[in-house]
Amino acid sequence: MTSEYIRLEHISKSFGQTQVLKDLSASLHRGEILGFLGPSGAGKTTTIRILTGQLKATAGDAYVLDTHVKNIDETIYEQIGIVTDQSGVYERLTVYDNLRYFARIHGVALTYVDELLKRTELYEHKKKPAGKLSKGQMQRLVLARAVLHSPKVLFLDEPTSGLDPSTAQAIHQLLLELREAGMAIFLTTHNMEEATKLCDHVALLNNGQIVEYGTPEGLCLRYNQDKRYRVLLTDGTKLVLDKTRRMWSGFPGFSRRIRSTAFTPASPRWKVYF
Amino acid sequence: MKGIHKNKLGAVLEMKWRTLFSKNFIVMPLFSVGITFIMKLLYQTLAAKGGETMSNTLLAMALSLGATMNISMTGILCTGMSLAEEKEKHTLRALMTSSVNGLEFFLGSILPVVAMMVVVNILVTLVAGVRLTVSGWGLWLGVSLLCAIASGVLGMILGICAKDQMTASTVSTVPMLILVMIPNFRGFNPVLDKIGDFLFTGVLQNIIRDLVQRDSGVDLTGLVVILGEILLAVLVFLYVYRKNGYDAG
Repeated sequence: MTSEYIRLEHISKSFGQTQVLKDLSASLHRGEILGFLGPSGAGKTTTIRILTGQLKATAGDAYVLDTHVKNIDETIYEQIGIVTDQSGVYERLTVYDNLRYFARIHGVALTYVDELLKRTELYEHKKKPAGKLSKGQMQRLVLARAVLHSPKVLFLDEPTSGLDPSTAQAIHQLLLELREAGMAIFLTTHNMEEATKLCDHVALLNNGQIVEYGTPEGLCLRYNQDKRYRVLLTDGTKLVLDKTRRMWSGFPGFSRRIRSTAFTPASPRWKVYF
Repeated sequence: MKGIHKNKLGAVLEMKWRTLFSKNFIVMPLFSVGITFIMKLLYQTLAAKGGETMSNTLLAMALSLGATMNISMTGILCTGMSLAEEKEKHTLRALMTSSVNGLEFFLGSILPVVAMMVVVNILVTLVAGVRLTVSGWGLWLGVSLLCAIASGVLGMILGICAKDQMTASTVSTVPMLILVMIPNFRGFNPVLDKIGDFLFTGVLQNIIRDLVQRDSGVDLTGLVVILGEILLAVLVFLYVYRKNGYDAG
């Protein structure tokens, strides 16, 4: 198997006369996060449904783990995890029983269920019926279920939508850990900050078309209109740089500014965000 | 549909078994037991007013109603509504995208309900107080099993066609009424009587009647009707399943 886990080739989708996806092409490799960023109705969820074999594309080809999406079967489903806005949780069952059920389906040891509950900070709620969880807890449960079988590819449809910042932060942290472990993550979001923070590549989707594709930093550089860039250094320090003074990556001004604020070129890793 | 994995089938079976015992579903088999008990009391009262003792034929009438209600209601509603509930709450999608295949889900959904129907048919026989020989019990359980399968598959078809529990209960009303009312009112009309012979619930009642009257219910035509209806139900199920999976509603 190649390291390219997802490949979209000129995917289009129509519902009757309405074309919702137009000629989408993108790819996602092992240990990467690809963000599909766009407003509601842009076609993000439709893309996930096509990639997970729940919808057929009208035109084009898509491959998940080297398998055409038309041929996705249980062997592929065993290697992917899906988090959608519709949780699909058994509300009558407890948190633990929900995970135990899917652990049994995937043949995962029950000891791992407890471990995962601790990791997602749900351990103290394990005996609570899933229907009584808060939105943030529910989302963590769905995420825990999706990664229970350590899939190679994880599909996330707006995983932090409507969550409080601390819960969103916890989910972000978990996603970064999963990426470090080699999981390929396909993320849809309408939150540019989230995409910038998490994604290696971002596709900006509008009216079913990819209007921009690239690294978050590249997109920020191209579209930032407020004449200021906020830079996050790896030690957590945040800087606001004035765009008009032409201080930016690869630009002389950037390194001058870094020097002037006591950050040496020895800490060259930084991340740009809006 | 593909092969069966024991762990996945076991998980679905466990879940469906738990669902069957939840308050929304357990009421249906209990209702059948209750109606049998009430009908038995009613017939006892009527017989006593006429100065007669309770005959086996009257007990068989109570059993007929309870058994046909069990086979129709439990079979159709418990499988259909349970499938519709999975769709309504999006758990079906979660299951299908977590490597459970269609055959595993089908068997996991239908087997607990079929088992429940057979157990309830034993219970209603005991509640009605109909006395059967060992071979009579064997035949009764065998026919109950076949009718339960037919009813369960019919419930799955209706569940596929319904998008939520409300729709499932609405679309189930017509077949349930046909399966319960026609055999139970067949005595009033020769056409209904004839139609009753071609419904699996009607055949079930014929077998009860024959077992009680002649201690023998082996009726080849009746068995052919039940097997034919199982086959038809399976073919219709496969047709609707292949069109859109379990999510056609």
